[in-house]
Amino acid sequence: MNGQGFTVTGVSKTYGGAGEVRALDGIDLTVGEGEFVVLLGRSGCGKSTLLEIMAGLQRPTTGTVRLGGREITEPDERIGVVFQDPSLYPWRTVGRNVELGLELAGLPKGRRRAVAQEHLELVGLPDAGNKYPRQLSGGMRQRVGIARALATRPDVLLMDEPFGAVDHLTRLQLQHDLLRLWAEDTRTVVFVTHDVAEAIVLADRIVLLTPGPGRIARTWDVPRPRPRTLGDPGLTALREEIYAQLEDTGTWEKEGQPR
Amino acid sequence: MPTSRTDAPAARRRRAGLVLGQVALLAGVLALCEALVRGNVVSSLYLPAPTDVLDEVVLLLSGDNGFYGNLAVTLQEFLTGYLLAVAAGILFGLFLALVPLAEAFFRPFLAALMAVPKVTVIPLLTLWFGLGLGHKVIIVFLFCFFPIVYNTIAGVKQTSADHLKVARSFRASRFQVITKVVLPSAVPTIFAALRVEAAAALVGAIFGEMVASKAGLGNGLTEATSLYDTPRAFAFIILITLVSVASVTVIDQLEKRVFLKWRPRQTRLR
Ligand SMILES: Nc1ncnc2c1ncn2[C@@H]1O[C@H](COP(=O)(O)OP(=O)(O)O)[C@@H](O)[C@H]1O
Ligand SMILES: [Mg+2]
Repeated sequence: MNGQGFTVTGVSKTYGGAGEVRALDGIDLTVGEGEFVVLLGRSGCGKSTLLEIMAGLQRPTTGTVRLGGREITEPDERIGVVFQDPSLYPWRTVGRNVELGLELAGLPKGRRRAVAQEHLELVGLPDAGNKYPRQLSGGMRQRVGIARALATRPDVLLMDEPFGAVDHLTRLQLQHDLLRLWAEDTRTVVFVTHDVAEAIVLADRIVLLTPGPGRIARTWDVPRPRPRTLGDPGLTALREEIYAQLEDTGTWEKEGQPR
Repeated sequence: MPTSRTDAPAARRRRAGLVLGQVALLAGVLALCEALVRGNVVSSLYLPAPTDVLDEVVLLLSGDNGFYGNLAVTLQEFLTGYLLAVAAGILFGLFLALVPLAEAFFRPFLAALMAVPKVTVIPLLTLWFGLGLGHKVIIVFLFCFFPIVYNTIAGVKQTSADHLKVARSFRASRFQVITKVVLPSAVPTIFAALRVEAAAALVGAIFGEMVASKAGLGNGLTEATSLYDTPRAFAFIILITLVSVASVTVIDQLEKRVFLKWRPRQTRLR
């Protein structure tokens, strides 16, 4: 399937209320069809805000987002969203969670069952359909979140720190599986993370956001073939550069250590 | 959580000991009552001999004194009032929870009505609605409507913002959001009220009957008491208690097998 490209033009976001928060300021970004872009930055720099604006879940204060030429002002059937906490509905079985988007779109029961099962198999959980989310591990739940987003066959996938809440080894596995899915069926992906290594392993292009208000500090192309290992000398240089930039722009997180 | 295999016999022995003690206590108290009454230490007018109460229970269950007619009357009052209160309470609660202006408007009225001890209006209700079914249905309704409204509002407010975001990302309509996200999120809290209010509803029906009625279990109880038929009064108390336990059990089973099937088994704290 072909993806569609995003054009983000002059997007700013100020959260109202007593203490106004300027979350984003003047974001310009294009994401090409089929491109895998990673938004990198420490927590609070506006990554989620930008992603939700691109998903049509929030309106920017100024600026526009276009997908394939059409302006995004509300959630769009071409876009699938994967949330950080996969936010599965605990009262539904795993299978019926995956069906959710199809059900809301009015697909008949038999059809959406089949599609849901197909996508559970795609993410490596062929036998999980009748279980409840609480019976799955964190990594498995996140796979279900991905299956749910893919089941409606979106052209574009927006992922907000999807692997942030799982242990390190599971995260490596999930990254690997995501790249496999992406290679089988290339579509546009915008992936948010605060993990430099994750960004390097996944991205065609890394976009670094800096906080207060959120701005794009720099972008890097990652021209190395996948699968990538962090030991790759070409990537070591990139990693040094990203950390140098992080230090430079004062966006260092105390607990974050270079790996 | 299952206890580990090694200490299972010890746990079973402890449980057996507990049950044995409980049975012994109950048997002891009943035997003491029996002895006090039979030995004329206490007049059977005040305290019936347990065996006499048992005789009365058997008699009532065999249909004496139109027992099943009374049971049917009470159940009809209870079920009609309760189900009306459940339907109206959930709908009204949902309406208030989803329309902030309506909640702001109705909240003081609700709070005031809720604060009125409902038993105080029963005589007036008799004046207005007479002795029949309508009177009891309204009492039962008033007994349980307000808590159901409040719990529905509280339950709706527990809906997770993340769950709503997921539905929005799939372009759910407002109606779909309510039926597929908001209501399921509120179910545990609503059920907590349904459970408590089932017992309260029965209290309402029985009490209404005791104050003013021509039939029903409460009527039978009042009659037995006024005739100083203490064993029969006790028999009524026991049978009414069984009805109450049965109705709460029905709600519990409904909760466990249908509505909250997805919930983990109760976790042990220690
Ligand atoms: N709904 C909101 N209301 C007010 N401020 C918000 C809201 N959402 C996010 N913010 C603020 O906007 C900034 C960016 O938040 P967010 O986009 O969540 O960052 P990130 O995802 O990079 O951690 C933060 O300072 C955050 O506190
Ligand atoms: Mg975030």
